[in-house]
Amino acid sequence: MFKVLSRAFSQQLKDPVRVVVTGGSGQIAYSLLFRIASGSLLGENQPVILQIYDLPHMQAALRGVVMELLDGAFPLVHEIVASDLPETIYANADYAFLVGAKPRGPGMERGDLLKQNGEIFVKVGQALDKYANKNVKVLAVGNPVNTNALIAMSNAPSIPKENFTAMTRLDHNRALCQLGTYLNAKVTDIGNIAVWGNHSPTMFPDLSYVTLNGDKIRGKIDNTWYEKEFIPVVQQRGTAIIAARKASSAASAASAAVDHVRDWAIGSNGNWVSMAVPSDLYNGEYGVPPGLIFSYPVVCVNGAYQLVKGLKLDEFQQNKIKVTVNELLKEKEAVADLIRK
Amino acid sequence: MSVVKVGVTGAAGQIGYSILPMICSGQMLGADTKIDLALLDIPQCEDALRGVAMEISDSAFPLLNSLKYGSDPREILRDLDVIIFLGGFPRKAGMERKELLQRNMNIFKEQGAALNEVGKPTTLCLVVANPANTNCLVLSHHAPNIPKKNFTAMTRLDHNRASFQIANKVGALTIDVKNVAIWGNHSSTQYPDVNHGTVRGGAIRPAVNDDEWLNGEFISCVQKRGAAIIAARKLSSAMSAAKAAVDHVRDWFLGTKEGEWVSMGVISDGSYGIDAGLCYSFPCTCVNKEWHIVQGLDINEFSRDKMNLTKQELTEERDEAFSA
Repeated sequence: MFKVLSRAFSQQLKDPVRVVVTGGSGQIAYSLLFRIASGSLLGENQPVILQIYDLPHMQAALRGVVMELLDGAFPLVHEIVASDLPETIYANADYAFLVGAKPRGPGMERGDLLKQNGEIFVKVGQALDKYANKNVKVLAVGNPVNTNALIAMSNAPSIPKENFTAMTRLDHNRALCQLGTYLNAKVTDIGNIAVWGNHSPTMFPDLSYVTLNGDKIRGKIDNTWYEKEFIPVVQQRGTAIIAARKASSAASAASAAVDHVRDWAIGSNGNWVSMAVPSDLYNGEYGVPPGLIFSYPVVCVNGAYQLVKGLKLDEFQQNKIKVTVNELLKEKEAVADLIRK
Repeated sequence: MSVVKVGVTGAAGQIGYSILPMICSGQMLGADTKIDLALLDIPQCEDALRGVAMEISDSAFPLLNSLKYGSDPREILRDLDVIIFLGGFPRKAGMERKELLQRNMNIFKEQGAALNEVGKPTTLCLVVANPANTNCLVLSHHAPNIPKKNFTAMTRLDHNRASFQIANKVGALTIDVKNVAIWGNHSSTQYPDVNHGTVRGGAIRPAVNDDEWLNGEFISCVQKRGAAIIAARKLSSAMSAAKAAVDHVRDWFLGTKEGEWVSMGVISDGSYGIDAGLCYSFPCTCVNKEWHIVQGLDINEFSRDKMNLTKQELTEERDEAFSA
């Protein structure tokens, strides 16, 4: 473990907050850490202490990343801690980006992926429970995100459930991008996209309520384009990026992670965003049973997210939601022994 | 909101991947400036370039006004306000410096000619691709329609690295270290000079209180930092290079703070005995999108020797590049 300590001298800034990033030597963290360090997350008056985790055999590579962060001369980075010790990394954490996860290896079944990651996230949940601030905001980024977040949440009983979320913001942003191109509109003029469900091929990017410059425009969207092009393109975008880059979509994933936590912390300005959050909070709303981490359209204000309520779901939407609910129930079943009652 | 047209060459590479989100999220030109982004790379990198453009679009940056990409410099470099030249010929194992210079000269000759045809006379250019200083000279030489003062080379990474090393030595924050100066070539002959700098408001030398370190290990550490990062990461220092490029352009475009300077490779006007026409890193202030070399700094013998050494190397590089 190594630590770099500094003290602010000349800045009139807030007290620093502690931001955890796991999987610190990986691709997504490389993009993410530099965005956080620049103030993209919490604004230019909020210093951060970066607490970066990786496995013991990755500490040398992590040291290189820390060297680069230090060479970055970021005004807002007041301290950097890099370690493989949970008690160090999660200590007093205010935000936690759980990027580190076990990737799918050749021949690995989805069940194996779920179980192996499940074991990791049991420990993450326990460490958060023991060491982090009780109001820590947690975002699971490493796949399978929804179920990983669920496992962490259930193993951190002293932390409010609503503090555990999983990332579907990348799907949301990808949907925005595709719709923007279709409408020849700026993404900032588009509102009310909803991403429902699991961050997986059953994810449902829903344009039923979408607005352009405040006006409802679902009627102007061709049904065939919506079902046969838009939805598959958004669902398979990750694969398309890998085909082009020969590497996965680290930068856009990192950007989505920043967007998710930023909006959660400082508000989404009345805009709908998509976050996978505990369905326990919503009493079966929209046909989603309790006990899952499920993506919904929400609005963020005052450091919290609020479900967009009262939306009417037609048969098409209900079916899509059912499919992704069922997938999540199956995933949960596969790791039932890791979910603390 | 204003819109600034920003071009990046070599955009499909490692530094490109790091820098584009920084530019598009407002780190470079501020939260009130929209960006028209133009990305250039060679035809062989077409798929990778498309992939990075897809990811930038997928990031739904509110400040991204438009995005275009391609491999034709005459199309992509047209009418831009700022261009960051990341694309160059990388050094391969066993490659002689002469060959490296030659291959890069060809690239920057072509891009200079394109820029001369389609560039705005106000376009600000930052060359990052190594050998940065000499590439910058070649680029400027082939784009005579654009004033020489619009062409700069990056030594900001060395500047930031030097600031960190001082901060680390005394237990301060990097931003509490001001006014280090990088003189010369972005190479192992660069001279990081702390004689005019401050840490926490006090002069650096007495604060560090270790002249042997300042004159020895400190200098070689800054010079070799790139290699140290590669040894640790097994990859080169893309993110910190990208951050330095963003810092360089931001300070040039938006101005340096009162009482502070930055290090930039600029085409010398003869200041400090550095031959006019060499691209040499100096301490500079920036205002109204123009850099000005900080004048009147006392140069002692130790510094003079170091500055001459790097001047020598740059003179040789320039002669080699232009002799072909």
